[in-house]
Amino acid sequence: MTAGKFILDRLGRVILQIAFLFAVAAFLLVTGTQTGVVTIVLLVCLLIFSLEQLTDFWRAKKRLDELQAIMNGLDKRYLFAECAPKPQNLYERKLFELLHLSGKSMIEAVSDAQTAQREYREYIEQWVHEIKTPITAAKLICQNTGSDTRRKLSQELAQIDAHVERALFYARVENPEKDFIISKTELSAICEGAIQAHKTLLIQNGIRIETENLNENVYTDGKWVAFMLGQLLQNAARYRGEAPVITLSSKRLGQQVQLAVQDNGIGIPAYELPRVFDRGFTGSNGRKRGGSTGMGLYLCKRLTDVLEIGLQIQSTEGTGTCVTLTFPAEVNLTKM
Amino acid sequence: MQTIMVIEDDQTIREELATLLKNEGYQAQIMTEFEAIPEQVCSIHPDLVLLDLGLPGCDGLSLCAAIRKIAPIIVVTSRTSTLDELQALNLGSDDYVTKPYNIPVLLARIKAVLRRNSGEMTEPDILEAAGLRLNLTKGTVTAPRGTTELTRNELKILAHLMAHAGQIVSRADLIEALWDSQIYIDDNTLSVNVTRLRSKLEGLGMTDVIKTRRGMGYQL
Repeated sequence: MTAGKFILDRLGRVILQIAFLFAVAAFLLVTGTQTGVVTIVLLVCLLIFSLEQLTDFWRAKKRLDELQAIMNGLDKRYLFAECAPKPQNLYERKLFELLHLSGKSMIEAVSDAQTAQREYREYIEQWVHEIKTPITAAKLICQNTGSDTRRKLSQELAQIDAHVERALFYARVENPEKDFIISKTELSAICEGAIQAHKTLLIQNGIRIETENLNENVYTDGKWVAFMLGQLLQNAARYRGEAPVITLSSKRLGQQVQLAVQDNGIGIPAYELPRVFDRGFTGSNGRKRGGSTGMGLYLCKRLTDVLEIGLQIQSTEGTGTCVTLTFPAEVNLTKM
Repeated sequence: MQTIMVIEDDQTIREELATLLKNEGYQAQIMTEFEAIPEQVCSIHPDLVLLDLGLPGCDGLSLCAAIRKIAPIIVVTSRTSTLDELQALNLGSDDYVTKPYNIPVLLARIKAVLRRNSGEMTEPDILEAAGLRLNLTKGTVTAPRGTTELTRNELKILAHLMAHAGQIVSRADLIEALWDSQIYIDDNTLSVNVTRLRSKLEGLGMTDVIKTRRGMGYQL
C-alpha cells in the first residue's frame, strides 16, 4: 500500500476536511475575526487532520504488512483465515468471520476432492493389477498355441499392455512421492528391459535398434525410466520412416549422464515441437496416423520432473527425432 | 528332470504356465488348494517355486519367507513398483518377474535360478550339428576343412539354427531369438548376415549347408 493509493481511497474524507476548512475560514472572516487568528486556526486544524490521516495510514500499513507476512509464510494459502491474527476492531472481526466461513467451506471442498482423487487413484491401481492377470493368461495361451495367429494376437496384447501401463503411471504421477526408489542402476539394463518389453511391436514394424556405449550407471528409478523409454520406442515405431533405425546412446557430461534416443522417422513439424509435452496433444502426425493418445510424452515430462531428469526433444521433419534424458549426478539429487 | 511348482490362483495362468514349462522340458506341478502351502511345497520338494504374491487370503511376503527355506523362489506378481521388488528380494526370493511376463525373459530367469542353485556348470559352449562344430565362447566354427571366426551376429544365428537342426526356422522366430540375445536387427540385416555366414561356411567347404525354404524360413 502506498500513501498515494491510501489518500485516493479516502478522497471523500479529504475533500470534506478541506471543504470544512474553507467553510470555517469563510465563517470566521465574515464574522470579523482577524486574518492572523483565522490563519492560526486553519493551520492548527490542518495539522490535526494531517496527523489523523498519517496515523491511520501508518496503522493500516502495519496491519496489512502483518497479514501479508502471514500469507507469505503459509504453505497452503487457503488456510489463511485459520491463521489470521485477532481482529482489532468491529469491522475486522466481521470481515474475518466471513473469511473464516469461506475458508472453511474451501477446506472441506479441497479435502473432499483430495479424498476422491486418492480413491480414484487407488481404484485405477487396483484395476491395473487385476487386468494384468487376464493379459498374462492370454499371453501364455498365445505362446502355447504356436501358429501365425500367435504373432498377430501378441501384438494386440502388447498394445493393450502399453495402454494399461500408461494408465498406471498416469495415476501414479499425480501422487508420486511414495512409489519410486532412487538407486544406482545400469543404463544398459534399463534400455534392455524397455526393448524386451516392446520386442513384438518393434520387430513387427521392421525396426533395427543400435546401442552405443550404454555402460554407464545412473541414479534413478529404473522402472520409471524403462516406462519412459517404452513411450519413446512406441513413438519411434508409430512414426517410423523407411528402413527404421533407433539408436540408443549415452555420454557423460561432467557428473551427469545423458541418454539419447534417436530415430530416423517422419519427424515433428517445428511449430508443433513446443507443444509435444502437453497433455493430450496429438499433432498433425497423430491425426494422420491415428491411434495417438497424446499421453506418452506428457507422462514422460511429468515423470522426468519428479525424478529430476532433464528432458529435451529435437526434431527435423523427414529426418527424425532425438529425445535426450539427462540424469542428475548423485550429489545433486534433492533428498526425496 | 527338474520339477517346478506353480503357485498361482488364476486357473488359466497356472494351466498355461504348466503347459509352457512342460514344453520346455521341465516337470510342472500346480497347486489348487491354497492351504498349508509350505507343507504342500515340502511334500513335493520342487527344484524351484514360481510364487504369485497376490494369493487370496495369504500374505505373499511371509509365505515367501516360509517357502524359501524349502526351495528357491521366483516371485511373480502384477505389482510393479521398485519398492515391492525390493521387499520380495529382501525376503529371500531368488528373482522377481512382473506380470504380464515377457515369456523368454521368464524362461531365462528360471534357467538361471535353477543353474545357480544346482551348482551346474554353465551351458555347453560347444554345439555340434550338420558336420559343424561351433565354439560359443571363442566364437569360431569348425568344419572338416578348417576353422573360421564369426561375428557376434553370425555366431548367434548359426547357434540358433544348430540348436534347431533339421527343423525349419522361420525368419520371424530367428529375429525374435536374436532380439533375446540383445541383437536388435531387422529383416534386411538378417538377410545380409545370413549371406555372409553362408560365404564363410562355403570357405570351409560347406556349400549350401543353410537352406532357404521359400516363404518358410531357413533350415540347417
